[in-house]
Amino acid sequence: MADLSTNLAGIRSPNPFWLASAPPTNTGYQVQRAFEAGWGGAVWKTLGDPIINTSSRFAAVSFNGQRVAGFNNIELITDRPLDVNLKEIYETKKRFPNHAIIASLMVEPKQEKWHEIVKRVEDVGVDGLELNFGCPHGMAERGMGAASGQQPDLVEAQTHWAKEVATTPVIVKLTPNITDITVVARHAVRGGADAISMINTINSLAGVDIHTWNTIPHVGGQGAHGGYCGPAVKPIALNMVAECARHADIGVPISGIGGISTWQDVVEFMLMGATGVQVCTAVMHHGFRIVEDMIDGLSNYLDEKGLASVEELIGRSVQKYSNWGDLNLNYQVVARINEDNCINCNKCHIACEDASHQCIDMLTNADGKSVLQVREEDCVGCNLCSIVCPVDGAIDMVAIENDLPPMTWNERQRTIASLNDAYNVEVM
Amino acid sequence: MSAFAEFEQEKQQIDAILAQGYTIAAIQENLDGALLHFIQASSHAERTQLQILTADARKYVTTLLFARQTQLAPG
Repeated sequence: MADLSTNLAGIRSPNPFWLASAPPTNTGYQVQRAFEAGWGGAVWKTLGDPIINTSSRFAAVSFNGQRVAGFNNIELITDRPLDVNLKEIYETKKRFPNHAIIASLMVEPKQEKWHEIVKRVEDVGVDGLELNFGCPHGMAERGMGAASGQQPDLVEAQTHWAKEVATTPVIVKLTPNITDITVVARHAVRGGADAISMINTINSLAGVDIHTWNTIPHVGGQGAHGGYCGPAVKPIALNMVAECARHADIGVPISGIGGISTWQDVVEFMLMGATGVQVCTAVMHHGFRIVEDMIDGLSNYLDEKGLASVEELIGRSVQKYSNWGDLNLNYQVVARINEDNCINCNKCHIACEDASHQCIDMLTNADGKSVLQVREEDCVGCNLCSIVCPVDGAIDMVAIENDLPPMTWNERQRTIASLNDAYNVEVM
Repeated sequence: MSAFAEFEQEKQQIDAILAQGYTIAAIQENLDGALLHFIQASSHAERTQLQILTADARKYVTTLLFARQTQLAPG
């Protein structure tokens, strides 16, 4: 059986599955039950000056029968006194010395505030700190969370202040509510971050009730934007992890967060550069015990791949992720319809006719049976037909061999520039 | 006309000019595609132009040039 243990910037964990700082890590009772279920680590619900929450806090977006495709919350950081949390952290760490407990922290952007909370939290034996520069709602209106995280200089300064007194690894949690997450990540590293984690939640409004005209959720008829997470945000998170992983000036371990629900999601995040992952929404939906399937699935996968350690996955797909301008323009795939599996629903034909390149013909074969056929020479390989096809195996996207040299857009543009430079003619 | 047929038509025009001994001297990309400038390889005196429209033809012609530059032979 493969070794699932991880080491993120010096924080050791029996497996890569951590609970994210969120409602499931609000108390020692919850975190201890999570560890009993199999979670390798927990990022304690953010500590800071205790807040007051509203009633009615969560909302979910369901899509075509899939409940909680996305999840929205307007809950803030802990509403419990720091001493109470610290006592429970101490007790939990004592009971589970080999599990990772990371304290998520959020205070005003003042040096003395960071010094005070870092010292108090480290006194009870946490394995690391996570600076919360990501929560988009409530706390941001008070100059903390995402409001801090959207100012690279403030991220750098606050990370530096935490590092001035920290003796455990400092993870900086980044907000996705920014144009280029690598800018803030680089400033976190300049401030001394030992690792970064991403993503926090995305500004969102889950919906509007078309009968009452109230927002979803609403607090007595008034709403405010919340933070969006869950499976719907996974592609956004995965891209941000990958962009940071491949950035030469970042170079610190990454804790991946955002819509992770299955062991396959974990593999994807680790292949794209995460050293471990954090999970919240899937636990809020299904409970702590989902980690059992995650552990079994990951373990079996590693065995099947012949990998001795989960750490062998880290970053293995990063080099496959580049800029559009570096993709090979002469690579070609085309759609092929497998008549044995096709149910003639015509969805591929409609999609291709209405939204792509009109290259799937509806024909009648010699037996009088309707068949769908791709004109491969006109197929641009967009994948749309295979995406909308309801039957697995009915449409394959097949790579077409050609003897054209690989040529990227950037190479093409350089070729044209070089050609034109050498052409001394007045028409140019 | 299918996209492939449009491309084939432009490819044949490019190939026909090249077969007459012209080489591609410059490419001006514009809103309608690309204007290709050809010169006679032997004399450099004769010149001709061809406006190409399709994406595949624009890719084809630059692949020819890129292959030449990188000493690779396209099909």
